[in-house]
Amino acid sequence: MGPLSRETWAHRLAAFRASPSAFMAGADGENLGRDLLSDLRNEKQSEQTKVSLLALSLEYPAELWPNAPAAEAAATSLLDTLVLLPPRPSALRKPLLLAATTLLVTGGVLGPTSEASCRLLPLLLGLASGRDVGQGFGPISEQRPLRATACECLRELESCKPGLLGCSLGLLRRLLGQEGPVQPLSLLLALSLRDTLVAQSRSRAGLQGLLVSEISTGSGPWDWTLAEEGGAHLLPQAPSWPATEEGECGLAVLELTPEEARELRAVVAQLLDTSYLLTPVAQAQLLWLLGWALRGLRGQPPALFKPQLVRLLGTGQLTLLHAVLALKAAFGEALFTAQDEALLLRRLALAAQHPSLPLPTHLFYLHCLLHFPENWPLGPEGEEAAPLLLGPQLCRSLMPSLLHEPMALLAHLHLLCLLCAEEEEMDQGQLQSPQQYLEELLAGMRQRAALDSSPQTLATVCFQASYLVASCLPGQTKVLTSLIHGLAQLYQARPMLAPHFVDFLDQVGPELGEPLKRALQQEVVSKPGRNEALCWHLQMLAKVAEGDAQSATLSFLQDAAAYCTDWSLQQALLRVCRALLQTSGGRGLASLLQVLARQLEDPDGRDHARLYYILLTHLAGPKLGVALGPSVAAPALASSLVAENQGFAATLMVQETPAPIRLGVGPRMAKGPLPVLQLHIEALEPIYSLELRFRVEGKIYAPLKAIHVPYLCPGRPAHPLFLPLQPRCPAPAKLEVQALFSTPAGLTCHAPLPPLSVNFEDLFLPFPQPPNGAEWSFFEGLWDSCLPKGAESRVWCPLEPQGLETLVSRHLEPFVVVAQPPSSYHIAIRLLPTSMLLLQLEAAQIDGVPVALRTDDWTVLPLAGDYLRRLVGTE
Amino acid sequence: MALRGVWLVRPEPGTALCGSVRFSRRYPTVEKRAKIFNGVSYVPVPEDGPFLKALLFELRLLDDDKDFVKRCDSCSRINKTSVYALAIGGEELWPVVAFLKNGMIYASVPLVEQTLSPRPPLVSLSGISQGLQLLFGIQDFLSLGQKSDSELNTKLSQLPDLLLQACPFGTLLDANLQNFLDNINVASVTQPQKLPAWKAGTYKGKPQVSISITEKCDLEGIMPNVTISLSLPTNGSPLQDILVHPCVTSLDSAILTSNSIDVMDDSAFSGPYKFPFSPPLESFNLCYYTSQVPVPPILGFYQIKEEDIQLKIAVNLKLHESVKNNFEFCEAHIPFYNRGPITHLEYKVSFGQLEIFREKGLLIWIIGQKFPKSMEINLSGTVTFGAKGHDKQPFDQICIGGTAYVKLHFRILDYTLTGCYADQHSVQVFASGKPKISTHRKLISSDYYIWNSKAPAPITYGSLLL
Repeated sequence: MGPLSRETWAHRLAAFRASPSAFMAGADGENLGRDLLSDLRNEKQSEQTKVSLLALSLEYPAELWPNAPAAEAAATSLLDTLVLLPPRPSALRKPLLLAATTLLVTGGVLGPTSEASCRLLPLLLGLASGRDVGQGFGPISEQRPLRATACECLRELESCKPGLLGCSLGLLRRLLGQEGPVQPLSLLLALSLRDTLVAQSRSRAGLQGLLVSEISTGSGPWDWTLAEEGGAHLLPQAPSWPATEEGECGLAVLELTPEEARELRAVVAQLLDTSYLLTPVAQAQLLWLLGWALRGLRGQPPALFKPQLVRLLGTGQLTLLHAVLALKAAFGEALFTAQDEALLLRRLALAAQHPSLPLPTHLFYLHCLLHFPENWPLGPEGEEAAPLLLGPQLCRSLMPSLLHEPMALLAHLHLLCLLCAEEEEMDQGQLQSPQQYLEELLAGMRQRAALDSSPQTLATVCFQASYLVASCLPGQTKVLTSLIHGLAQLYQARPMLAPHFVDFLDQVGPELGEPLKRALQQEVVSKPGRNEALCWHLQMLAKVAEGDAQSATLSFLQDAAAYCTDWSLQQALLRVCRALLQTSGGRGLASLLQVLARQLEDPDGRDHARLYYILLTHLAGPKLGVALGPSVAAPALASSLVAENQGFAATLMVQETPAPIRLGVGPRMAKGPLPVLQLHIEALEPIYSLELRFRVEGKIYAPLKAIHVPYLCPGRPAHPLFLPLQPRCPAPAKLEVQALFSTPAGLTCHAPLPPLSVNFEDLFLPFPQPPNGAEWSFFEGLWDSCLPKGAESRVWCPLEPQGLETLVSRHLEPFVVVAQPPSSYHIAIRLLPTSMLLLQLEAAQIDGVPVALRTDDWTVLPLAGDYLRRLVGTE
Repeated sequence: MALRGVWLVRPEPGTALCGSVRFSRRYPTVEKRAKIFNGVSYVPVPEDGPFLKALLFELRLLDDDKDFVKRCDSCSRINKTSVYALAIGGEELWPVVAFLKNGMIYASVPLVEQTLSPRPPLVSLSGISQGLQLLFGIQDFLSLGQKSDSELNTKLSQLPDLLLQACPFGTLLDANLQNFLDNINVASVTQPQKLPAWKAGTYKGKPQVSISITEKCDLEGIMPNVTISLSLPTNGSPLQDILVHPCVTSLDSAILTSNSIDVMDDSAFSGPYKFPFSPPLESFNLCYYTSQVPVPPILGFYQIKEEDIQLKIAVNLKLHESVKNNFEFCEAHIPFYNRGPITHLEYKVSFGQLEIFREKGLLIWIIGQKFPKSMEINLSGTVTFGAKGHDKQPFDQICIGGTAYVKLHFRILDYTLTGCYADQHSVQVFASGKPKISTHRKLISSDYYIWNSKAPAPITYGSLLL
């Protein structure tokens, strides 16, 4: 099959780049990688197309060959293509080397067992060392331009497998000393030197002559063991500062012999001496690498770096000054005296505003000033602060100006705020203090933001500046007072900035927020609300309206109501009412809501007004506050609609909670027409409006009435509660109990309580007392009436003679009809709805009492038997 | 110090996506490292479409600019650097280095070799400066001599190949992309001698050293070695805030410490300023300096008085006697911002002529090549403005009310304000052959403003506080 045409490929590549995932999911996706590799080897395909195919495989190897075997096969194919190139100059060799390297790394196949790795690595090292690597690369002179590329490939492999080139240090060093390309070899040597140092210090080994011998071990130039150790955790080439403080890359444990230390010093000096031949960005990389490699390493004085510093400090070049800062962070006082530190700060301050440097550079230098790695930092780490040696003089050279770009203005302003904070207690008698300058600047910013046609960004930066000032200078009343005054004026000039004000009030603390709210409220209500700014005024009031100055606010709203003709205005108006409901309420508000509930055109608006009215008139203050307050269930919801809804839902609906109540059954009470359960209740936290609901399993009692308790408080004894029972049959039961109550926060809660047991004896009721003297005949009459419908039984109660008297007086006293203590008792028990239980306890003997039972309801008999046995058991 | 990707995005307001990705390059080997280093805080670099959208949103370049958007406009969301966090699929891609320059957004994502939560300070991340530097390099390459869209497209089409050379694996090798363009004057690197990496080859043309000193009137300058000495005449104002090209091999400490921040005294170093360097092939800026000359070259005042819809203006300019009265050109621009178009103008000039741009609300006073013998000229007049249109009239955020300025544009050849010059005989060249040495000087106005003295002006000068 012939190659695809250039246009086809161009089309295909463009489609792929537009969205690789979509393309690969499409019909054409599967074949792309295969077609690409085959067309690379096709002689009829143009070189230009092949270059763009390689560019794609450099950027998207994981998409084209998503797994390790595919990556290995693709890398092998690329290497085949490379060696098969005709021996003449070709633009493909470099991208082929890069692509094969990329594939090995991203496919995760780089290793001693990968065939492609074992072909690529010797090839790269051969090219890098200037050896003839074979015909496919043309004459050796043609191979030279590829040396740098091979070095870069090796550097990338080393970056991804730190320690890989550990055994080639000696070779690299020799090459650098000879005619090799300086930059690629320097960077490669520096990187693998650093990786080796870290790896050896981890394994607590020395350098073992790695720096001098060409190939130090029998395993060849590749140290897969070191690489495996390194690969487990990649090594940051330029670790960020605080991380290193924790000793992550500390090399202090590395024990070097004096010879090793000397050799190492020589290598570093060799690298640094030729560093001026490197491009500025590469010099910076070299300094980051070496600085952090040698930090804290014994026998490696940081003074090695000193000769480079003056040269570097003279430039305003971003990467170079940044690298100097990295050295500063790495070595501190060991490399930079206090004077050096002052000089470095001066150069930074100078570069941070130098007219020849672009804005992003200025901004970065300003950032560096606020995060300057000081020798002796005073403040807490990680916080932005002006370094001590920056001093007022330097600070003043960095004053913000209205002519600055917004970001630069904020950065300079931050410095000014820090200066103001420092000079707070100092002499205020200067002609123009920094505070005054600050106030003038803010006034200028507000003036810009107040302009009619001024863009959004100017308002944004004005509020950002105000926020910065408020957060940096919280205690400076004078500054804050003028800020409040100025902002109120800004609102007056441009009410459409209301959203910015609302956001600002959300962000600042009460120290500034409260007085600003009052000022803004004053500003809004002082003018009649009938102009085009009404929607902004309402938005503003919804934020700032509070208890004070209610009447002014209400009359403003009453006035405004007539002009709220469209839906959004009506909603805005209602939002203000809602805010007022939350904070105060009052009669004025109620009548306003009534008016709104009648007047508003929109039915939804009327409904809302009515709802608010009802809430206001029916709910007490705290409950109302909670009902309208932010939702407890979902406090962080972005949508106010949902949040409001959820707020209502949370408050007006019942929450399921664990019960803060303990409920128990008290002593039995046998009087009245119905059996009554005495309940003891104890609250674990204050609760209001408690309602206890009971339900009987199996409908054996009539439905039970709920019990209401207005207030319960922990630690305060509660009155006993009485629960009348209406049994439909005389049987014990379990009662399910539910509690419904309000919390002090106003939420209504529901809690299931443990079930209560109603025992058989709880249902006992006495018969009416018969007339005096007629007791016996009364009992006799009952006794005889039980049969033949009922049932009879005899039970032996193993009681001592005195025991019987105690038992009766404790448990059965109310039911005794005829008694001849201590030996004979006749007991009659009424059981609702229509049963009775009669007991004759007589003729107590030494080891027990015979009990005769009779009942007119045979179902009662087993219950009675159980009861008597339990009774005797407890005695 | 490596980069995960580079993008060039052109904002196109009014189009469906509000912009397009003009170039992008990803570095998968770096991405792989990012995944390991960042651990659970890793956020992958997205495809171009989502990246474009998130970037434009973050830079507030989507069309919904009119309203307050809390995520961007909240007062507590203060960004003081060109580094952003892009919201992508519920996660934040950080750090994204980006800036807008000449209608193009330059963006890159540097590798952070640790976890991203908490975010480490930018100052400790080597990739930030490397990323910015690459973007500056690309920007320099694109802006060099590029005027039309087709030229831009040609340059953009060269970028993939140039980045293959300058940044093959995401680690930047050279930010000067121009170095990688084939240069006919450059011999291929076959010599065994040690060549600096920033020199793509050796120069084959006629040896020459061309020095040009450009002084700008907001006080900057340009010069090129070998060893070049800059000298000042007696009583010349010392050069300060000197920033040199990285090819300068050593610097006198007096040059390093001379700055505009400290209070000057008579003992200040006043040269000669020696710059030993090894020049790159292309012409380059050897150093930049500032200076505090005691007298501005053109003194003047500007007064505005507002009367109803009319403005009464008076401008008076005086050339300082020490300044060479021979301009390449000299103009005074008098803009009126935040007002309607000029409907009527009555004026009187003592010298030169006045051009009126009514719709733009601008007067240009063309002074020409020379000031008159008296060295003093003036302009007075009354300007009437029409009703303010909506978007057409020029807007300015500074010039509010009476705050207004006259901006001077001028150029004087063979002259520097400081008196700074490079003596041909002081140039030492350590090379075989005798190079031709030529020197030029010029003074160009940059931000030369004269503010209305009857209204507040934005103060920029910190020393006013002292």
